[in-house]
Amino acid sequence: MSSRKYWWLPEFITRHVLIALVLGGMAGIGFMVFLIEFDHYTSSEAFCTTCHSMNLAADPYRRSAHFLPTSGVRATCGDCHVSPGVFAATWDHFLGGKDLFRQMFGANYDDPVVNALHTPEAAFSAREWFRRNDSHTCRRCHVQEAIVGKRADTLAIHNEDTKGKTCIDCHINLVHRKVPARETFKREAWNRMIEDEFDLSHGTADRLLRQ
Amino acid sequence: MTLRLFAALCLLSGSTFAAKVTLSKDNWGHPAGKECVSCHTKSSAGITGQWKGSAHAKAGVNCMDCHKASIDDPDAITHEGQTIATVVSPKDCGRCHTTEEEQQRGSVHAEAVAVIKERMPAMVTNLAGPAIEAAGCAQCHGSTVKLMATGKLDPNTWPNSGIGRINPDGSRGSCSSCHGRHTFSKAQARQPQACVRCHSGPDSPDKEVYEASKHGMAFESNREHMNLLGETWVAGKDYTVAPTCATCHMGAAGKLPSTHDVGMRNAWNLNTPVSERQHLVVFKDGGKRELPESMKAPKRGSRVPKMDGSEGEIKMVATPQRRRQAMTLVCRECHGKEFAEAFMKQFDAVVHLYNEKFGKPAQAIMQELYSRKLLTPTPFDEPIELTYWELWHDEGARARHGASMMSPNHAWWEGMYVVGRNFYGRFLPQLREVAGADAEALIESHIGSLEQHAWLKSPEKTSPILGVGRPWSPDE
Repeated sequence: MSSRKYWWLPEFITRHVLIALVLGGMAGIGFMVFLIEFDHYTSSEAFCTTCHSMNLAADPYRRSAHFLPTSGVRATCGDCHVSPGVFAATWDHFLGGKDLFRQMFGANYDDPVVNALHTPEAAFSAREWFRRNDSHTCRRCHVQEAIVGKRADTLAIHNEDTKGKTCIDCHINLVHRKVPARETFKREAWNRMIEDEFDLSHGTADRLLRQ
Repeated sequence: MTLRLFAALCLLSGSTFAAKVTLSKDNWGHPAGKECVSCHTKSSAGITGQWKGSAHAKAGVNCMDCHKASIDDPDAITHEGQTIATVVSPKDCGRCHTTEEEQQRGSVHAEAVAVIKERMPAMVTNLAGPAIEAAGCAQCHGSTVKLMATGKLDPNTWPNSGIGRINPDGSRGSCSSCHGRHTFSKAQARQPQACVRCHSGPDSPDKEVYEASKHGMAFESNREHMNLLGETWVAGKDYTVAPTCATCHMGAAGKLPSTHDVGMRNAWNLNTPVSERQHLVVFKDGGKRELPESMKAPKRGSRVPKMDGSEGEIKMVATPQRRRQAMTLVCRECHGKEFAEAFMKQFDAVVHLYNEKFGKPAQAIMQELYSRKLLTPTPFDEPIELTYWELWHDEGARARHGASMMSPNHAWWEGMYVVGRNFYGRFLPQLREVAGADAEALIESHIGSLEQHAWLKSPEKTSPILGVGRPWSPDE
């Protein structure tokens, strides 16, 4: 019989090691809880719209079916724009830091005109992100096999005509300001539209973009 | 003479038969077309169903062949990975149907927006509002299709299949106006129903006129013998029972070639305050315009302004006589020369009657009211302006169209009778109100010397037509 009190433990687990393990474990759990809570909070509409510029993106969202669905299941910013899984979510938030950087040191995105002028590029890169990830955030809620729809063809199309495609390939312009596909986007026409919308003189948009 | 006429007609028209597409099959059958059909069979079974039964489908022409676009096209959109355009313009159809596209270019159909350009502000702004432009005017005459920066077509200008539609690619016209998408049926365009959507109603009751005519009667009773599905459709050869709108205005008849310039065979301009016979000027670049007969026909090779204001070199001129001869060639497939010419005489007499008795005096009186500042220059703020507008644009046009296509009812009761009623019953009384003490002198100076209005000076001549008095006899 050993004189060690915790004789059933291996010998290298000394008392100090044990304390370190317990503390480390608790710290680890705490860290994970922190990450989960951090991701949860930073994925919320309340957090995203602390930047004024994001309110301009949130405005059309608040009128969209993703904000006010008949089912009552509301998708918030992070549900679509932050990857599932705590590590992927943390990584997305880390990358998202560049938005904060640009908000502080870039163009004046708080200005509705400047914001609208830059919206297409934002839309293109968001769509690219969805495409790269096989629309994984859409699939959080929407299960392709379960898309039955109200018309018979909805089911048939989602079964038969979606090969090689991902949600975002067809379903764009659902939530935010409508922007054409990148391939056929015409900057000239967009600038003129924004000038008309805000009652600006011809060429103002191009000048603002150069700044 | 006949030979020259025939040469001129060939220049204006295509071959004797509807032009065959001569391109090789490599020009169509886009590989992505299958995918369009797969999805759209489910999402919009109507249009794919129509296409599946069409000659296009049989020839292997698919959705992409007509809807494909290049990235630089102003109306290009990205749809399921393909660059397409919603609007299929005559330019798109003309990729294969070159002859038809060339013929319709510059025709009265293709220029249908220009035709009403001057009328639009008064009609839309004063009498109605912009909503009516999209739902009314533009549905027949064509919209100027506008694009929003979102890549979508502006809902104020689309959907639209008006015949003179100004398309995002700059071309004018809409083939689907007559050849409804997505069947593009020849048989459909050969029937009078193809024209009814626009050629009906108070100002252009061609549907009603045709239906009330012997031609319309013959068509309705013999529809099954019209050979509407025939590969060729030459009047007098492929069918003989009746003419439709397309027969006389476009169709091949005997040696007369078919044409997609629908106004080519019309000698008169009937939808104007005063009718005048018109030369048809064809420019080297394919554009066309009409010039009134009172102007000497310009020579081939000379330069005259085109409809858009730029100058064009003349390739050929068809005089009103030539145009009338072309139309008469259609008549001749059934009728004798004298019969056809005598009918034209009756028709022309009605146009002259309208012109001389009502059209010209009313126009001159209105001009004088404006120049004497008895009327404000703003249209339709005085009742006489509405009266005058309807006099020529509605009942005046009805009378002339009724006579041109043999509806006795439209020539008289719906037409010249209403012209007369409005001239004597509304126009002159309103003129007296506007001009006050000057009215009688004004009326006298414009219609006093016209024999046709002389009856006004015999107020004692009675007639039992109103149920009073004794019969009037010409001996009195």
